[in-house]
Amino acid sequence: MQVLLKEINKSFGNLKAIDNVNLLIEDGEFFTLLGPSGCGKTTLLRIVAGFCKPDTGDIFFGNKKVNNIPPHKRETGMVFQNYALFPHLTVFDNIAYGLKARKVSKQIIYSKIEKILDKVQLKGLEDRYPGQLSGGQQQRVALARALVISPQVLLMDEPLSNLDAKLRVGMREEIKRIQKDLGITTIYVTHDQEEAMAISDRLAILNFGKIQQIGTPSEIYFKPLNSFVAGFMGSSNLIKVNVIDYDPQKSLLETEVNGNRIYVKSDKISDKELIISLRPEWIKIADNESNKKVNCFSGKVINVTFLGSVLRYKVEAFKNLIITIEIQDPQFYEIKKEGETIFFQFGVDRPVIIES
Amino acid sequence: MLRKYLTIWNIIFLSVFIILFLSLIYPLFSIFKASFINPETGKFSIESYRKFFHYAYYLRCLGHSIFVSLIATFFALIIGIPFGFFVSRFHVPGKSIIKTLGTLPLILPTFIGAEAWLLLLGRNGLLYNLFHRIGIDIPSIYGWKGIVLVFALQFFPYVFLMVSSSISSIDSSLEESARNLGANSWRVFRTITLPIVTPSIFAGALVVFYLSIENFGVPILIGEDYKVLSVQAYNEFISEMGGNPSMAGTLSMILLFITLSVTVLQKYWVERKSYVMSSLRPPEVKRLKPFPTFFIWFFCVFIVSFALFPFIVVIISSITKTKGPVMYYGQFSLENFIKAFKIAPRPIINSFFLATVATIIGIIFGILVSYLIVRKKGFTSYILDVLIMVPLAIAGTVLGIALASTYNKGMIVLTGTWMILVLSYFIRKVPFSIKTTSSLLHQIDTSIEEASINLGVPPLRTFIKIIVPIMLPGIFAGAILMWVTTLAELSSTIVLYYGPWATMTVEIFQRIGSADFGPASAYATILIISVLIPLFILHRVLGKDLLSTM
Repeated sequence: MQVLLKEINKSFGNLKAIDNVNLLIEDGEFFTLLGPSGCGKTTLLRIVAGFCKPDTGDIFFGNKKVNNIPPHKRETGMVFQNYALFPHLTVFDNIAYGLKARKVSKQIIYSKIEKILDKVQLKGLEDRYPGQLSGGQQQRVALARALVISPQVLLMDEPLSNLDAKLRVGMREEIKRIQKDLGITTIYVTHDQEEAMAISDRLAILNFGKIQQIGTPSEIYFKPLNSFVAGFMGSSNLIKVNVIDYDPQKSLLETEVNGNRIYVKSDKISDKELIISLRPEWIKIADNESNKKVNCFSGKVINVTFLGSVLRYKVEAFKNLIITIEIQDPQFYEIKKEGETIFFQFGVDRPVIIES
Repeated sequence: MLRKYLTIWNIIFLSVFIILFLSLIYPLFSIFKASFINPETGKFSIESYRKFFHYAYYLRCLGHSIFVSLIATFFALIIGIPFGFFVSRFHVPGKSIIKTLGTLPLILPTFIGAEAWLLLLGRNGLLYNLFHRIGIDIPSIYGWKGIVLVFALQFFPYVFLMVSSSISSIDSSLEESARNLGANSWRVFRTITLPIVTPSIFAGALVVFYLSIENFGVPILIGEDYKVLSVQAYNEFISEMGGNPSMAGTLSMILLFITLSVTVLQKYWVERKSYVMSSLRPPEVKRLKPFPTFFIWFFCVFIVSFALFPFIVVIISSITKTKGPVMYYGQFSLENFIKAFKIAPRPIINSFFLATVATIIGIIFGILVSYLIVRKKGFTSYILDVLIMVPLAIAGTVLGIALASTYNKGMIVLTGTWMILVLSYFIRKVPFSIKTTSSLLHQIDTSIEEASINLGVPPLRTFIKIIVPIMLPGIFAGAILMWVTTLAELSSTIVLYYGPWATMTVEIFQRIGSADFGPASAYATILIISVLIPLFILHRVLGKDLLSTM
């Protein structure tokens, strides 16, 4: 089922929770709403579920406008952040709840629940109460309960945030597997960018109720449209530079920051001032400074963090900027100490120009 | 569909307000009005207020009320604070029994406690006679001393419960960090523990003061010439000389002013000053050396026995051979019970019937109001939240007078029917039902409801299928509290009952008045058992502390 949100606006008092949002989610797509807390992502999800009425705008499921369909008739399956399992009902009755509301015959209820329990690997726990389950098991019950009614759209509101880190990774893979198996259109809300990249077909980044960028995880990671997205998706060095010259033959932009020349590949000439984004893992360590190489600089190490698979430097460079550099697989690498000088370099095709 | 749902709750909102208006606001307004009307001329007059502040007789009632309540509060603190500290901080043998028995006095009807002390120390009392025979005259139980004795012994559990729950909520890291910063244990107690507990002590003191000043049964039974406000208001209203509604209204307004002030003080001052802590590690329970442990144990056991002793006396008296006021202790007989059950079973049936009807209405009302307060947040539900706790701030006598003077004429006449008793019980006790259900509802996340709606069940059916079952323990606890406290209700019953609808409490009260102690004790014993059994069930089924919800 395709979901279309058209010019959705919603305010709570003076706070603009949703600011003119337009979204098209394809049939069978795993779509994620990603953003910091308070960005409006949950509100948007609740608008789709019908728990929240938008001030203006329309919601379509396929060709059907659902604005005026009350939540209990919208045929969405929602998984809540705290699971919202009915504490006085067993696992079986929790999952059967939506089917009973639809007056499905007993036989079909049994066979459907058997199938879904198989899918979420909860066989044998039918008679337990939610209080007797672990966090991960509760999560599966909540998922099964939402899926068993074969909803048109599956809605998930930070479903993994109450689980511990290890379980979270396992569960997100499982959710993805089940979603692909069933081919169900899914809208997923999270504030965890790693989770969002791992699980989504496409995602939308929200901030202050506005969509910042929509795209596949790799598009958003490699081509952030603005500094918010660049900073929110992974970490990034954002450097403000002045444009000096443009060479159309080489498609090369010559820029300057505090007397240092940075060359940036660009298809078009740009404004006088702009911000470039440089991911820490795109920067390489150079043996020594050679002025012939482009985009090679020196700096003073001010902080070293060893994380096992990654070595992270904070380097003071370009006079007074702090640049983060990450070295993958640092096993055979001589680790610099704080205060030492370091040389680093990056290709002209690395920096991403961000409209500032 | 959404529209329809909204209007259903709006209709409920409206009905709730109408019920509260008819049972609470309008009656209070009527006595307020009555207090300003000269009963002879029917015109506006401040005569009653002038009289009140002019005649020493009335002012003395006010003085008496305040005096006994202050002294009773003082003694309740003296007993309750160490009791609370001891049982929550130190190892005491048999602690859980001591704690349970220690809370019992506050649910046993105070006027039965008064009866017991009359049996012991009244004229012709057991101990009085005993001492008199050997030539010692012990001081009289009548007057303020007896009132204070009963109040202090029955109300100290409030202080003890509040103090001990506040102590248990202090995270042990607080005291440990104070020790770590160099404070010795006395200094820690003085600068950390005591200041944190102080608001609860104050809260307990206000509860005791309030209960003492609104009490009717104890001062009327053992006060004799020592008149307090509630008794005087009752006398003015009931007076065989035709009664003075204006003066009764005035006295009620003054009592209402005091009880409301205490409640407001409690709510807005103490609540703001109390420290909310989520205790991760409750303070360690210390094991003292044998001698101090024995001292603490002895103190607690002594207090509990002293507080429960009167009720044992009443139970023993109920199975003692009697002849009018003369008790033949040592000679057992079931005559009193036979009398109660065979000759006059009506009061027992009345009490059970009225309590049950009031409780059923209270449950339904309580569920709906809890839902409105917790879930339909807004200005109206805020008003409702405040309004619904007002009955807790009105003395039973005052509410009785208010209802009687409102519904004795005009469009709705309820005086002389059982319904006015149900109305009074309902409005007086429904806050219990609302408190217990709403505190449970607060813990139910809205997402539970949304999950049900999302799965295709409309809102109103979701309420019945999901919310009500989850609230069931709270509803059950509230129902038992309502039922039990209604059974023991005397102060408004005495104003509102008429002949055939006398309850057990009225029967006990009247038989004590005519020194017919045998049957009085039998009824009292039945009442004590009827109160204890449901609370025992509640304790067993829900594992709830006795009246921790009150």
